[in-house]
Amino acid sequence: MIHKTTLQQTRTAPLGMSAARPQPRRGVRFFMQKYGPPMGLVLPFVVLFVLFVLWPVLRSLYLSFTDYTGIKAPNLVGATNYVNMLHDPRFYKALRNSLTYMFFTSLISTSVGLLLALSFGGQKLAHQLMRAAFFLPLVAGGVGIIGVWKWIASSEEFGLFNTVRKMFGAESIRFFGDPHYALPLLIVIGVWSVLGYNMVIFVAGLRSIAPEIYEAAAIDGAGPSARFWKITLPLLRPTILYVLVTGMIGTFQEFFTPYVLFSDTNNVGGILDSGLTLTVYLYDVGFRHFEMGAASAIAWLLFTVIFILTLINLRIGRINDLD
Amino acid sequence: MVGERQNVWFLRLLKTPLYLLALSVMVPFYWMFTGAFKSVPELKQNPPTFYIHDFTLGNFYNSKLGVSKDILDQGEGLFQKFPNGLGFFGYMLNSLLITASVTTCCLLIASLVSYVLVKRPFPGSTVLFTLLLASMMIPWEVTLIPNFLMVRDLGWINTYSALTIPLMAKAFVVFYFRQAILAIPTDLVDSARIDGANDLRIWWQIVTPLLRPAMAAIAIPVALGVWGDLLWAILVVNDESHSTLPMILAQLAANLNYSPSGAGVVMAASLIVSVPAVVFFALFQRQFVQGLSAGATKG
Repeated sequence: MIHKTTLQQTRTAPLGMSAARPQPRRGVRFFMQKYGPPMGLVLPFVVLFVLFVLWPVLRSLYLSFTDYTGIKAPNLVGATNYVNMLHDPRFYKALRNSLTYMFFTSLISTSVGLLLALSFGGQKLAHQLMRAAFFLPLVAGGVGIIGVWKWIASSEEFGLFNTVRKMFGAESIRFFGDPHYALPLLIVIGVWSVLGYNMVIFVAGLRSIAPEIYEAAAIDGAGPSARFWKITLPLLRPTILYVLVTGMIGTFQEFFTPYVLFSDTNNVGGILDSGLTLTVYLYDVGFRHFEMGAASAIAWLLFTVIFILTLINLRIGRINDLD
Repeated sequence: MVGERQNVWFLRLLKTPLYLLALSVMVPFYWMFTGAFKSVPELKQNPPTFYIHDFTLGNFYNSKLGVSKDILDQGEGLFQKFPNGLGFFGYMLNSLLITASVTTCCLLIASLVSYVLVKRPFPGSTVLFTLLLASMMIPWEVTLIPNFLMVRDLGWINTYSALTIPLMAKAFVVFYFRQAILAIPTDLVDSARIDGANDLRIWWQIVTPLLRPAMAAIAIPVALGVWGDLLWAILVVNDESHSTLPMILAQLAANLNYSPSGAGVVMAASLIVSVPAVVFFALFQRQFVQGLSAGATKG
C-alpha cells in the first residue's frame, strides 16, 4: 500500500535532472517537480501521524470540556470535568498512589541501579552474569510474570512471601486483602522490573568517562574514595538525573502492573482502591463508566505533570544532542 | 579500563548484599519454572515445595481431564483452554504477527521521513520536524480516548487494523534515524541522483542499507512496546479470535485463584512466553542494550 502510493507520486512527478534541461523556475509545475517526490515519501507517516497523534491531541482537549459519554453528541460543559475531578476523593487516592509509587520506585531503582553499575560494570564473566540476571525481568517480564507475582504474594498459606515470613516467625499477611500492602507490593515489582535497565544505562555512562581523567587524578595522588566523589559522581550526574526523571515519567504512567495485580470483575483498584493508579483510574472512568469527557480531563492532568518532568529532563541537556 | 572499576569501601561492603539481591531477582523466574511442572495438589501444598516433587505436564495438557472424577483433575491444561478461540499458540502467533507488521511498517515509514527531513527538505519540513519534536512530550493517555473513538468510528473494533495501524507513526524512531542519516555524506546521495536515481531508489538502495544497525537497535523498544501492550488491545478487541497474548495472560492471571489448575496454567503460560524472549535476547544482546538506551547516550 505504502509503496504503491509513493511509487505513483514519484512517477507522476519524476525528478528531472535540472542541470541538463531548461526548467521553468516558478509555478506549480516546478514546485511539484522539485518537492513532489520528497513530499510523497513522507505522506504515509504524515497521514498516520495526523490521524492518530495530532488530531487526537486537539480532540482530547476539546472532549475534556464536554460531557461526552461515547454515544450522544458532546455538549460543552466548561470546566465541570476538571472541577468534579478535583472534588473526587478517588482522584486524590489515585494521585497519591501514583505519586508514592513514582517517588519510591524511581528513587530506589536509580540508587540501587547505580550501586549495581559501580560494582558490576566490568567485563568479567561474573559481572556479565550479574547484568544479565538483573536484565531478565525486562526481557522475560510482561503480563505473564505479573501473574507469577500474584501467586507469590498470594494470601493463602502456599504464597511464597507468607511462607518466608513464617520461617522467620512472622504472621502471614493478606497482601490483597489489606490496603496497607498494595503500594509496597507495587513498588517491589516496579523496582524489580526496571533495575536492570537503569544498571545498563549507568554502565554506559561510566564507560563514557575518559580513563585519562582517572589516571591523571591517580598521579596527583587521589585515592579511590577521592576519585569516586570528585570524578565519577560529578561526571555521572547528567546520567543519574536522566535515569531518575525518565524513571519518574515511566512509573507515573504505569498501567498493566497495577491492572493485572488488582483488577477484579467489579473493581479495578484493589481493596479500598489501595492499588488504584492514575492511569487505571482513567481507564475506569473512561472505559468502564464511559465518562469520556471526565477521562480526558484526567489525561490532561497527567499531561501537565509529565510535561513538567519532561521539561526538567530536556533542561538536563538532551535538547543539545538533537543537532 | 579504569572507569569501570570503582574501588570504594562501601562498594566492597555491598558486594555480598548485591549478590543476594541478584538471587532474589531470579526468584519469580525460579518459581515460575518449577510451578509450571508441579501438580495441582503440590501447588496448593502448605508449606510450598521448593523444588519439583511430583513432576507433571498437566499444566500444559491435562490428559485426565473428563476422565478422572477427582476434583483436582478437572482443570484444563494451557493448551486445552480457549477451545472456541485460537488456542494458546494461536494467540502467540497473533501477537507475533501484529508485532512484526507494526515494527516493519514503523521502521519503513519513519526512515522515509528522516531521509526527507535531512537530505530532501521541502517548504514546511521544519514545521513537520517541530510538530514531531513537540509530539514526543505528549503522553499516550492524552491520545487514548480520541484514538479509541476514531477506531470505533472507522468500524475497526475487533480487526487487525485497530491493533496495528494506529501504532505505526512513532516520532522517536524518526529522531533516532535522523541521527544516523546526518552521518551519511550528502555527496553520496547527490552522486546517486546525478546517476539518475529517484528519491525512492536512493532511500531503498543507499539509505536503508546504511541504516541497518540503527534499525536493528530501535526495532527492539518498538517491538517490545507492541508485544507487551495490554491497554490498547483490551480497548479495541473483545472477541476471542483477535485477542493478543497479553490479553490472554491477563485473563489467566485474573482467574489464578478461581480454578484448581489456575496457578499452574499461569506459570506454564509465562514460561512459554519467556523462553523465546530469552533466546531472542541472547542472540541480539548488543542491539537490546543499544536500542533500550537510545535516549540516554549521546548518538
